[in-house]
Amino acid sequence: MQQSWLLIVASFFFGLLIAVTSAGLSPRIVQNEINKRNRLVGMLLPEARNFIALDTKIEIEAQPGKKEKVEVYKAVSEANECIGWSFNAAGAGFTGQIVLVVAVDAAFEKIAGIDVLSSSETPGFGDQIKYDYYRSQFKGASTDQLKLVSIGEPKKIDSEIVGITGATVSSTAVVDILNAFMSGIKAQLKEKGLIGNGKK
Amino acid sequence: MAKNDSGRIGVYKRALLAGLWRENPTFRLLIGMCPPLAVTTAVKPALTMGLSVIFVLVCSNVVVSLMRNLLKPHLRIIMFTLTISTFVTICDLYLKAFFPDMSEILGAYVPLIIVNCLIIFRAEACASKAGLIVSVLDAIGMGAGFTLALCIIAGIREVLSSGCIFGFRVMPGWFVPWASMSMPVGAFVTLGLFLGLVNTFTRKMKKD
Repeated sequence: MQQSWLLIVASFFFGLLIAVTSAGLSPRIVQNEINKRNRLVGMLLPEARNFIALDTKIEIEAQPGKKEKVEVYKAVSEANECIGWSFNAAGAGFTGQIVLVVAVDAAFEKIAGIDVLSSSETPGFGDQIKYDYYRSQFKGASTDQLKLVSIGEPKKIDSEIVGITGATVSSTAVVDILNAFMSGIKAQLKEKGLIGNGKK
Repeated sequence: MAKNDSGRIGVYKRALLAGLWRENPTFRLLIGMCPPLAVTTAVKPALTMGLSVIFVLVCSNVVVSLMRNLLKPHLRIIMFTLTISTFVTICDLYLKAFFPDMSEILGAYVPLIIVNCLIIFRAEACASKAGLIVSVLDAIGMGAGFTLALCIIAGIREVLSSGCIFGFRVMPGWFVPWASMSMPVGAFVTLGLFLGLVNTFTRKMKKD
């Protein structure tokens, strides 16, 4: 038990130091995260002026048997009209988690665009999911089941998404993540009466 | 007295300069090898990592040096870890708040400075035995040597993998970027060749 007081005093002191730093910096850190998200979604939905989180998180089954809670944001224009929805969709990629930010139109019929919030895919290959030619295929595509094909015309907007190569895990993963999240969230929003029935 | 002073200055000088070349942590001692392999895809993140390590190293050396007389053998390691993890957490929060882009690129490697053995090695080998000034100089020298090594590897890899350095194009138009240099294999190859070069060079110097 020799000198154990030193450990206790030091733990207390260091704990205090971290607590003070964290308290001082955390508002800035939270703001940074919100700014980044808004910047990305703002590019996907340029008319949006504000993003309001839904009161309750939407629970979906992204993987069989695994429930996940997703924060869905309503994008509103200057005139306070709903012009779309946005949410983060995450899932396993090739070397780690892929987090996508997804924006869809007000009726949840068409995708307004997707962007990659964070990923650790192979540089030069899998990380082409961040490139325009791959991402732009989703802009205007239907929110119903997307299909990945290995040969096709990337510029044509339909439910067929052309992968990076036929064997690239990353491009398949993005499509799988989107399909799982979009169908789950769409069903839930419909159930809540937020979309469908001519509602905008 | 004058002799004593020059002797003391000699000790300070040695403490400061050891890390730069003679005991360079990456090229000579081969310790703390995770960052040189993981965060050297470009110079900017490498520099950020290097400066973070200097900050943590200086702070932990100061604290350990100040409490070196209180440390009992069985408490030593846990006190080192406690000190290091505190400063790494502070550094991580600071980067997240003021350099969110860098923090995102470095990801888990900033919190992983806690287990960088360079820092615990200097706490054990230098700060727990030497006075405050020597410990600080040693931390600055070792940190600078580490940063230098990171930046050299990162510079080579960035130029070959993208043709740019700090975002400026330096390679001629016909240059085809080597994608593999930005992947782990690029780090291993660059580091291996560089270590070979350093070894050949030092052996030659010894002979002469």
